Amino acid sequence: MAAIFDALPGIEVPVGAISKSLGKMWADTAARGGPAPATDDAKATQVNFVLHLGLLTTAEDAAEQFQTTVRFSRRYPSRVVVLCPLAEDNGETDIRAKIYGECHLGKTKGDTRCVEFVMLSYPKLARLHLEDQVSVCLSTDLPLYYWAHRFSASVKLADYRYLLSRAKRVLIDSAIAPPDAMTYPWPNPENLRDLVHARLLPVRQTIGQFLAGYAPALLVTGLQAVEVSAGPELAAEARVLAHLDADVAPAHLVRDRGGRAGAEEAVEHEVAGVRGDVEDALYKSLWLRCSKDHVATKNLGDLLLCLTVVPHLVV
Amino acid sequence: MRPCHMADTQRHPFLQGLSKHRGAPPTVVVIFGASGDLTARKLIPAVYNLGHDNLLPADFHLVGYGRKAIPDAEFRTLAAAAIKEFSRRELDAAVWDRIAANTTYVAGGYDERAAFDRLAAHIAAIEQKTGREVQVLFYISTPPSVFAPILDNLGASGLAAKHLGRPHHAKVIIEKPFGRDLDSARQLNTTIRSVFEEHQVYRIDHYLGKETVQDLLVQRFANAIFEPLWNRNYIDSVQITVAEEVGVGSRGGYYEQSGCLRDMIQNHTMQLVALTAMEPPVSLDAEAIRDEKVKLLRAIQPLATGPGGDVARAQYAAGLSAGKAVKGYLEEEGIAADSGTETYAALRLSINNWRWQGVPFYLRSGKRMARRVSEIAVNFKRPPGTLFADGDRFNLAGNTLSFQIQPDEGLSLILNAKIPGLETRTQPVKMSFRYATTFGSNTPEAYERLVLDAMIGDGTLFIRGDEAETSWKLCTPILEAWAAAGREGMDSYPAGSWGPANADALLAKRHHVWRQP
Repeated sequence: MAAIFDALPGIEVPVGAISKSLGKMWADTAARGGPAPATDDAKATQVNFVLHLGLLTTAEDAAEQFQTTVRFSRRYPSRVVVLCPLAEDNGETDIRAKIYGECHLGKTKGDTRCVEFVMLSYPKLARLHLEDQVSVCLSTDLPLYYWAHRFSASVKLADYRYLLSRAKRVLIDSAIAPPDAMTYPWPNPENLRDLVHARLLPVRQTIGQFLAGYAPALLVTGLQAVEVSAGPELAAEARVLAHLDADVAPAHLVRDRGGRAGAEEAVEHEVAGVRGDVEDALYKSLWLRCSKDHVATKNLGDLLLCLTVVPHLVV
Repeated sequence: MRPCHMADTQRHPFLQGLSKHRGAPPTVVVIFGASGDLTARKLIPAVYNLGHDNLLPADFHLVGYGRKAIPDAEFRTLAAAAIKEFSRRELDAAVWDRIAANTTYVAGGYDERAAFDRLAAHIAAIEQKTGREVQVLFYISTPPSVFAPILDNLGASGLAAKHLGRPHHAKVIIEKPFGRDLDSARQLNTTIRSVFEEHQVYRIDHYLGKETVQDLLVQRFANAIFEPLWNRNYIDSVQITVAEEVGVGSRGGYYEQSGCLRDMIQNHTMQLVALTAMEPPVSLDAEAIRDEKVKLLRAIQPLATGPGGDVARAQYAAGLSAGKAVKGYLEEEGIAADSGTETYAALRLSINNWRWQGVPFYLRSGKRMARRVSEIAVNFKRPPGTLFADGDRFNLAGNTLSFQIQPDEGLSLILNAKIPGLETRTQPVKMSFRYATTFGSNTPEAYERLVLDAMIGDGTLFIRGDEAETSWKLCTPILEAWAAAGREGMDSYPAGSWGPANADALLAKRHHVWRQP
C-alpha cells in the first residue's frame, strides 16, 4: 500500500530515468509554450530540500506538507525530494519514483521560478540504500535542508547519517515527534531545529520587545516565577516557551545562538510560515492584551505566559 | 628518418583559410576488431557523424578486418544498424550511402601473415582506384592479447612503413589497455616501436576527447582568474571521480583479469590528474603538452600500499541501483567466489613540486556506484579571518570549481552570497555553465574528435609512450601489493552507493570527505 506516495502529485517514472524524465518534462512544457527552465534560467535551484514523511503521516497530511514545500520553493527555488515509506510491504525491495514540476510566474520573466520535485516511495528493505538514491537527486554543493515529519522513532531517523550530517538544518516538530526527539544524540545536534520554536518567533519577539522596555536588572533581580500554561494541543509550545530564558534544555533547541534576536531566522521559519509575519494582527492583539489586561486569556486552548517579576509587572 | 607530421608540415596553400580539421588527406581507415562492441557503439557512429559534418576527405575508405568472414554487403548492413542504434544523429541515407560505397571487409586472423598481405593488396587496389597515395590509419580495437601479432604483421607486410617519410604515411591508433603493468607496457612499446615510429602512434584514451577535458586547458590558460590561484597557496585539495553506475554485466571474464585500477585509474583518471595539475605548456603543440603531462606524472610520489596507506580497494556487494535490487560482484556471472579483483579503487596522491606540495589529490573510480558521473573538483582554501564566521547566519561553503566531464558536461563554481534581507546572512550559490544549455546538446562525441585528429596527424589528445609507462610505474607497485595480499584489505560497498569505508578513511586524515556529485 502506497497511500502517501499516491496522495502526492506527479508522473511515475523509473528511478533510473528521473533526471532524463525531468528534462523531458520541461522540454514538453516548453514545446507547449510554457516556461523553458533550461534556456530561461528560470530553474535556478538555490537549495536542496528533503521532506521525509514518517510512517505516522496520513495521505491528507502528506498532501498538506507537500504544499508547504511548494510554498517554500516559491521563495527559495529548490530541488525538492519527498521520501514516502511504505507502511506495509511484501518483501519488496524496489524504489518507485514520481516527478513533478511547477513554475511560478513573477512580475517579470526574470522572476519566473521553476521547481522540480522528486517523490520516492521505498519499502523497509530499501531503507539502507535510501540515502544513496536520494543523493543522486540532489544538486551537488548546495545547502541541504532535511525535514523529518511524523516519524515514529528517533532511533530510526538516526540511521540516515548522510542526510543528518550533510544537512545544514534538520527540521523536526517536537509537538508531533517521538518523546525522545529532543534528547536523542543526533549526529550533528547543532543543526537540529524545532519547528515549535520557529512557530513561536512572533511570540518570542513580542515578549522580547515588551520586556526590553524594562531594565534587565529589574527583571532579573525581581524575577520570582515563570509560569506557562497551555492546553494539550500547545504543550510543546508551552515547553519551548518555558525555556525561553532558561538553560534547562539544550541551548541550541530553545535559544538563539549568541543571544541575538532573529539570528536563527532561517529555513525553519519559512517552513513554519512565520517569516515576515511578526506584525501579524493576531500577535499584535496578543501583545496588547498582555500589556493591558495582565491576562492573556482564560482559554487553555491558547498559550498563557505568566512572568511574575515585580508586583506592578505581570505578563 | 625525419618525422613528418602536422606540427612541422607547411599547410598546403589550398587548405589555408580552412580549419585544420577540414584538411584530412585521402584516408583508408582499417579497423581491427571490426565485429566488436566498440566498433559498433563508437567507431562506426563516429565515422558516420564525421561524414555528416562533411569532415571526411573526399577519398575516404573504411575497411573492416576481423577473424569472422563477413561479406562486404553484410558488414555495411551491420554498420548501418550500429548507426541507427548508437549514433547521436539519425541515419541519413544520403550521408551513409556515400560512406557505404567505400566500405569493405577483409577477413583474416590476426597472426595470419597471408591475410595481412591480402589486406595490403586490398589497400593497394584502393590506391590504384583512387589514382593517388592515400594514408592508412590502422585502428586496433581488439583484445590486448592480439596487439603484438597485429603489430608484427603490420610490420612484416610493409603496411606500417607505407609512405613513411612522406605526408601520407601510415598511422596506428591503439585502444587501451596499454599493457597490464609496467613490464608489459614497456614490452608493448618496444613492439610498437619495432614497426612504427612514435610520431605514427596514437594511443587513444577517449576521455581526452571529451569537451570538458579539453575545456580544462582553456579554463586554466585562457582565463586570467584561475591560474594565479592554481597552486598550494589557494587550493586545499582536488577530487577526481570517475564513477560508473553499471556493474560488470556479461564482461565478468574480462574484468576479472583487469580490475578498476587497470581499467580506469591508470589511464583515464591519471590523464585527468595530469591535465589538472601540469605546468603551462610553452605552446599548444602536442609534444609541448605531453612533455608537461609527463613531468607532472613523474612528480607524483610513490604510494604507500599498506594499511593506513594511500590506496583503498573494494568490491561491490548486493544493493540497489536505480531503485532496483542488484547482485554483488561475487555473484556476477564469470566471477570467482574468492575473486581478488577490485571494482573500486581510491588513491591519495602527493605531488612533489613547488606548485602542489602538500595538496592532496584524491582519485576514485568504481563500478555500481550511485550514479554515472565523472568530475574534477578543485576545492579552494577558506579565506583567512573570521569576518563571516560559520554559524547560523553565515552558512558558508568552501569555494569549489568542478568540471563535470560526464554526463551533462560543464563546470560550476560555488560562491558564497548574501541572502536578500535586512540582516547579513549568507548562503552558498552555484554558478553553472552547461555545454548543452549554451551550445546545444548534439555536440561531437569524443571518438569523432579523436579519429579525425589522428587522420590529420594531431597527437595532442593522445598518450605518448613515456606517459603510459610513467603512469604504470606509479600503479604497478599497487597492483603487486594487492596481488600479494589476495583478499586481505579488500573492503566492500553496497551497489548503488558512493564507495567503501576504507576510501573514506583516506580523506579523514585531512578532515576531507568525498563529494557526492
